[in-house]
Amino acid sequence: MASIKCIVVTPEATALEQEADFIALPLFDGELGVDVGHSPLIGRLGLGELRLKTGGNISRYYIDGGFVQIADDVVSILTEAAVPAAELNVAEEERRLAEAQEQAADSPERFEQRKRAVNQARARLRIAFRA
Amino acid sequence: MANARALDKRRKAVRNIRKITRTMELIATARFKKAMDRASAASAYTRQITQLVSDLANSGLEVTHPLLEYREEVKQAKLLTLTANRGLCGGYNGSVLRLARKHWTKLTAEVESVGLEVSGKRGITGFRHTGIEIENSFTHFDDQPTFAEVEAIASRYLDDYKHGRLDRLDVAYTMFVSSSKQVAVVETLLPLGALAIDSGPAADAESNESAGESMYEFLPSAESILEEVVPASFKVKLFKCFLDAAVSEQISRMVAMKSATENADDMISSLSSRYNRARQSQITGEIMEIIGGVEALES
Repeated sequence: MASIKCIVVTPEATALEQEADFIALPLFDGELGVDVGHSPLIGRLGLGELRLKTGGNISRYYIDGGFVQIADDVVSILTEAAVPAAELNVAEEERRLAEAQEQAADSPERFEQRKRAVNQARARLRIAFRA
Repeated sequence: MANARALDKRRKAVRNIRKITRTMELIATARFKKAMDRASAASAYTRQITQLVSDLANSGLEVTHPLLEYREEVKQAKLLTLTANRGLCGGYNGSVLRLARKHWTKLTAEVESVGLEVSGKRGITGFRHTGIEIENSFTHFDDQPTFAEVEAIASRYLDDYKHGRLDRLDVAYTMFVSSSKQVAVVETLLPLGALAIDSGPAADAESNESAGESMYEFLPSAESILEEVVPASFKVKLFKCFLDAAVSEQISRMVAMKSATENADDMISSLSSRYNRARQSQITGEIMEIIGGVEALES
């Protein structure tokens, strides 16, 4: 059976290079499912969960924004961080969320910064819960 | 003739130093390999982003972004200098500092307000000696800079640039050309100028092709993606500077320690031959004395 190749690169390393039957990506406005033979696409990613279905197994990763490029059954994901869901820990992510919410938001830039940090922590927490 | 014992002592000292330099060489070699692996792992991202940019360009999109445009009036500039935390790496720190200082004088002549940021203890002390005030300094970058650390700095620059607190960012660092060549360079990272990150000839050729239809569908739109790509490519460019600097540091330490070890070897052999000669002449002298004493007794 044909499969899709999924490559996840971060600035530090190639985080993942693997074949999968089905891939779900966190796009900027919601999830996108990619099956074999998807049309070519370049898209912006949001914060969220990347799921790879191979056989009966599902592996999950947290993806920290970035881009996706789909062509010829190859899905390349460029992101600043990709963390396997198994490495996320609910208690730690809750602490991270609390920390993010503590941040001062006394100027528009700081507010943006805080918003991003909070969203990041929330996305991580969500995945940690599910794992 | 120097006395044999003093020579022996010196030889022992040189031997000890040789042991140290030899160990440092081995450590630097191991670290260099690690740093090199990291740098090559990071190049995958650079390649992908270059590919993305050329695909965007192929879609007929006008590549414009505030970060790419030169500002007419440069009021505030910043010079970031990347040096090592430790010495004993030959001319590595010296050549970056020399270049940075030269660039600093040029920059201060052109721009009214210039800030200096330095990474690495060697650079900090170096600039302190010349009396140039350092605005910001980092010492937490070692031979393996992480992206998260660099990203924090990069986003600060991006923020400053966006809000008009910064018009130009130059980075002085040691570029890694090959394992036998590293050059200290000054690069202007903001404004970014051209987007392609050391794009190979292939990527250039691609983007030069007539902007026909692209097979890609863009979500949400090519413009919006470009908006995100530009800061990302700036961050990765800055990260690459840090990686290059780290690799170059290890390699120049390795080379410096290798030649130090070789010099110690030379010194040991020359001291050894001097020591042997001194010892021999001491023995000859003693024999002469004994013979002289015997002859005196006989007569």
